[in-house]
Amino acid sequence: MGKFNYNKEVLANLRIDEKDTPLLDRLIDYDSALLAHEKKSHAAVDKRLSIKEAIAEYVKDGDILTDTGFSYVRTPIAAYLEIMRQGIKGLQMIGSPATNQSYMINYGTVSHSHWSYCGAEMRGTDRNMSRNVKEGRTKLLSEWSHGTMALGFKAAQIGVPGMYSKQLLGSDMVKYNPFIKVVDNPMKAEKDPCVFIPALYPDVTIIHVHQADKFGNAKIYGPLINDAAIAGAARKVIITAEEIVPPSALRNDNKGVVIPFVYVDAVVEMPYGALFGAMPGLYYWPRRMWEKTLRYWAYKEGALDEFYNLLLNDCKDQFDIIDKLLGGSKWMVNAKRLTKAEEGDNEDDGVDFHYKEWTMNDPDFNDVTDQYKQI
Amino acid sequence: MTDTRPANPLEMIAYVLAQQIEDGEVVYIGTGLPMVAGTLAKKTHAPNITLVFESGAQNPLMGDMPWSVGGPNTWKKSPMILEMSYSFGQLYNGYVDKAFLGYAQIDSYGNVNTHMIGGDFHNYKNRLTGSGGNNDLSSLSRNLILVGLQSPQKFVKKLDFMTSVGWLEGGNSRHEAGLVGSGPKAVITSAGVYDFEPGTKKMRIQTLHPGVSPELAQLATGFELVRPAGEIPVTPVPPRDIIEILRKDVDPRGVFTSMPS
Repeated sequence: MGKFNYNKEVLANLRIDEKDTPLLDRLIDYDSALLAHEKKSHAAVDKRLSIKEAIAEYVKDGDILTDTGFSYVRTPIAAYLEIMRQGIKGLQMIGSPATNQSYMINYGTVSHSHWSYCGAEMRGTDRNMSRNVKEGRTKLLSEWSHGTMALGFKAAQIGVPGMYSKQLLGSDMVKYNPFIKVVDNPMKAEKDPCVFIPALYPDVTIIHVHQADKFGNAKIYGPLINDAAIAGAARKVIITAEEIVPPSALRNDNKGVVIPFVYVDAVVEMPYGALFGAMPGLYYWPRRMWEKTLRYWAYKEGALDEFYNLLLNDCKDQFDIIDKLLGGSKWMVNAKRLTKAEEGDNEDDGVDFHYKEWTMNDPDFNDVTDQYKQI
Repeated sequence: MTDTRPANPLEMIAYVLAQQIEDGEVVYIGTGLPMVAGTLAKKTHAPNITLVFESGAQNPLMGDMPWSVGGPNTWKKSPMILEMSYSFGQLYNGYVDKAFLGYAQIDSYGNVNTHMIGGDFHNYKNRLTGSGGNNDLSSLSRNLILVGLQSPQKFVKKLDFMTSVGWLEGGNSRHEAGLVGSGPKAVITSAGVYDFEPGTKKMRIQTLHPGVSPELAQLATGFELVRPAGEIPVTPVPPRDIIEILRKDVDPRGVFTSMPS
């Protein structure tokens, strides 16, 4: 008998063989998460590593990795690309949203998926992801809503075995999520169905932050999404930071410090580490880059090879992405100006957001620079 | 030159949606037409509303249309930005007055699919985005309003997957399943406004947009719409000045309100 009571019908619906359920166990296995948390050094020591060292040390084949940030906002995409460069295989991916798993699946980096949302909001459905699931390049292990997955991470962070929730009831997701159970609220006199959501413990998470000190105390500006909760839950935590500041800086201005050092295994100085996504307060998202990603690289069968070649071989790091793809220093200056304008942090009356959308018949097919030519 | 073009179907939806919002309310918003409607309401009849987003963003100063629920226009100069689990907690705890939700498919009980189209779970025609916050809003909202385009492909007899529960199987079934909130109140589409018949909880025509007959609305629907007795009122169209605000101040680049060519 296994360690957990998975619903057999749900396993059958997902076509997960009962002998394969150990694959599911680690996500909800408090005992091993506790052990991992106990085992790591709890001392405030210098944890700085390079991104290459941090990934090599802390991301292992088959780990459960979380997608953090929000699709293309403050997501450690540059670190994901390094995971791919290092040839790490067979990861399980979880996150709300988990948009970035799509291009990692075709590369063999991700082979199992926990799903709550994958796509690019109004830029639409991710056709590549649709093909990946249907053709079995990734195996779906569970269906979630954003809210219920958030509760699973939150339960882990605040230190409880799980949460009772009023979400998911009556929906088909209950039939496709082996981790949740419909149970009665024990305090109500009348029958009162709830779903029980166990605390979720991913193996490893990478969280991109604005500032961190060398111990791992970390500061975030903008929506937290689930990242403070995930930092408390994950067995291994890598912080990539736009800037490493002295510990006294965080003591003197502690507003926005949301991750305590004790959770953290590695701290990586990684300016522009959210590329090719956006970073609140610092840089706007490269719009043509995303449009080409969704409309061509991730859409057209076979085009992803070109994407890998560009981002994993031609570009060795995020600085190469800036220099070789986005337009270099002009992009940097404009990206800062655009995000500050949209956030109301500069005089935005004269800031021009115009750019030419990338389309399949684009005369400048290879140009993903947002075509900003006014500086 | 004065822009005299009448409202297109997307502008019509945005206007009707905005009319659902009352001043002083907290409104839970996704990107797309709900964002247009929220901004329009705030710039016209409901200046004191608070917008809430699933990323944890809250109460931004009004700016351009956001490109993501996590994008800066959802938290521009917000006095406070929360996190995801709290934003859904606000719904459960009664701090959200209205919520707007989209669909890929919807059935006669206001149940919604955003998971997949055609076939079954393992062998579908197209897999969509999945739930995101869709199920959470549908499960927890007090005043849920569904919004989208209307066609027989979208208004279906049977969903290919039930992402979110509206009135489930009608009658008392939503409550018996344990759900809170009060079920969907209305569906606003390119053809009309629908509510749910008390008791059966089946979708019922409330008003139809100009030029849409009950027969035409039925033709655009894969299930039997409930037709109330008597004449069906025409949905009021946006007055000139509101269309102008919509085009000039709310969505000037037509990100969400220009018709796809």
